[in-house]
Amino acid sequence: MIETIATADSNRELAPGYRLLTLDLKEDVPVRAGQFAMLKPHASLEPLLRRALAVYRVHSPRRISFLYQVLGRGTEALARVENGGAVEALLPLGNSWPDAIGANQRVIVVAGGIGSASVFMLCEKLASTGVDTQLLFGARSEPTAIGCGLEDFRALGLPLTLTTDDGSLGEQGFVTGALERELLRSGRPRSTIYACGPWVMMKRVAEIAVQFEARCFVSLEAPMGCGFGVCVGCVVAVKTRGTNEYGSYKRVCTDGSIFPAESIRWEVDPIAH
Amino acid sequence: MADGTNNDPRLAVEISGIRFNNPVIGASGTFGYGLEFADLIDLNRLGGFATKGLSARPLPGNPPPRIVETHGGMLNAIGLQNIGARAFVEEKLPLLARYDTRIIANVFGYSDDEYIEAITILNDGDGIAAYELNISCPNVKEGGIVIGNSPTAAARLTEKAKLASSRPLIVKLSPNVTDIAILARAIVDAGADCISLINTIVGMSIDVNTRKPRLSYGTGGLSGPAIRPIAVRMVHEVARAVDVPLIGIGGIASAADALEFIIAGATAIQIGTANYYDPTVTMKVIDGLTAHCESHHIATIKGLIGSLE
Ligand SMILES: Cc1cc2nc3c(=O)[nH]c(=O)nc-3n(C[C@H](O)[C@H](O)[C@H](O)COP(=O)(O)OP(=O)(O)OC[C@H]3O[C@@H](n4cnc5c(N)ncnc54)[C@H](O)[C@@H]3O)c2cc1C
Ligand SMILES: Cc1cc2nc3c(=O)[nH]c(=O)nc-3n(C[C@H](O)[C@H](O)[C@H](O)COP(=O)(O)O)c2cc1C
Ligand code: FES
Repeated sequence: MIETIATADSNRELAPGYRLLTLDLKEDVPVRAGQFAMLKPHASLEPLLRRALAVYRVHSPRRISFLYQVLGRGTEALARVENGGAVEALLPLGNSWPDAIGANQRVIVVAGGIGSASVFMLCEKLASTGVDTQLLFGARSEPTAIGCGLEDFRALGLPLTLTTDDGSLGEQGFVTGALERELLRSGRPRSTIYACGPWVMMKRVAEIAVQFEARCFVSLEAPMGCGFGVCVGCVVAVKTRGTNEYGSYKRVCTDGSIFPAESIRWEVDPIAH
Repeated sequence: MADGTNNDPRLAVEISGIRFNNPVIGASGTFGYGLEFADLIDLNRLGGFATKGLSARPLPGNPPPRIVETHGGMLNAIGLQNIGARAFVEEKLPLLARYDTRIIANVFGYSDDEYIEAITILNDGDGIAAYELNISCPNVKEGGIVIGNSPTAAARLTEKAKLASSRPLIVKLSPNVTDIAILARAIVDAGADCISLINTIVGMSIDVNTRKPRLSYGTGGLSGPAIRPIAVRMVHEVARAVDVPLIGIGGIASAADALEFIIAGATAIQIGTANYYDPTVTMKVIDGLTAHCESHHIATIKGLIGSLE
């Protein structure tokens, strides 16, 4: 984990409301797939707190990109960073996607909306190691699919199923429907599912994983104060009691952001309440 | 940097016989158990830090969402999630032993007895410089702020804690009272060695779409730059009312902010929320204080305490 001031090399719009920020770092930073950074424009106090963004791509140990959706104050402030602008960054943070295990490894990656940012490096790795992988990519519409990096994912050459809520591209419907169909079709025993997306989607993915007896890992989001474990603001409720020092909650920033789906108490949503 | 040799003697201050290399202390609840910062700052350069509020037994805290950002600050309703006094003594203190910084154990209980129980456990721990009694947490329904709102209850607990404690006792005040000076006087009369202030201010934020509070607990404690002027005013009021050293807290993020509190009457300061958005802020404030001494030809920062013209 390092605290640094990085330089924005570019910060361009991929689709309305979706941007790609590329940072040049002053030193080499090793990042594993699924890790994130806490970012905000340098010397700006609006907003006060940094925002967590998944590391989307590592171009070199000193050059990394973030894919983000402009939602509110934090991401709006980041969207205003100009080329050459300074960004305060704490990284790399969080755990990373665990390896699929077992003989007949089969992997299904489920990317929901901007959750795609957290799984791109995982997909890169899966594509290069030749693991039997299905990529299920869900977005609201055609422009949001582009904004969520669809072209980069396509370039990896993995078998890809695309869904949009409005049917403007790929199959119409939710990505969780595609997941059920994929599991039904292939009767995939010993599959490992990796998923990142909105809470409701992950909750559904977790249910499907139970139904089909698949291993399932999810990358979760929670409002973060610090990103490195001190504020205890980012917790999610877990089923396992007393197995860690924090009892019935775990911190998304340092215990996650990736968790086994079956460990989460899905009825306690850490964002909408 | 790592061996602490660059400590500037001009910044040293003393509280109830404890020497702090400088007046910069990490505030409770924003500094974890200190170790979280070991990779980010030189803990040997830090004046000290206050632990997350420790209770006799571990506490799970409140359900999420627990934090929400507001303009110039944040609201939190963590609910004092902590590992418990025993685990702190056994698991964290040994790891902290290799750092030269003052450790203040922040103590919490739901009743007088629970506070005393926590202190009794912590008395076994090596390397704790002082206790800080948190009678001001707004995010729990018993203990904390209930005690902190009543001069009689606060004085009673202070007296008991002082008897139970083998170390200097700092009492941390709540700003959520009508007259903070009355409370401070009652606590000092009851034997407190030092007063720290302020804790967070009770606030609320509502999601206009769902028409529900943004925090699951409903209300939360406001911290950050937004509360600084209130905290400076309260330190000034308490400095005029009592004779013990004060530790100023509230929205400090720079050396200039820290100096405001010192001039208002604080011997030392604690930095809270700023640690979240700038994890190295404590080092910057120490450097800034050194620079201030330099440029103003100040021989010792002690000379500035309560120097308001
Ligand atoms: C580990 C982790 C990784 C993340 N990675 C990415 C990423 O790669 N790309 C990306 O765009 N975002 C990512 N996020 C989310 C991001 O950190 C911000 O929370 C989000 O962009 C909203 O911040 P904001 O300041 O723009 O909005 P705010 O001003 O905080 O909120 C604006 C509105 O958006 C709602 N909102 C806030 N947070 C979320 C959320 N997480 N999901 C849905 N609605 C929300 C609020 O309720 C509010 O109505 C990640 C979060 C975590 C915890
Ligand atoms: C998330 C969070 C948790 C806190 N937990 C504690 C605590 O356990 N005990 C305590 O005495 N104060 C606690 N505080 C209060 C701070 O120590 C400090 O008094 C307050 O935040 C004001 O300072 P600041 O504006 O610099 O943050 C907490 C504050 C925050 C933001
Ligand atoms: S964001 Fe502070 S503990 Fe996770």
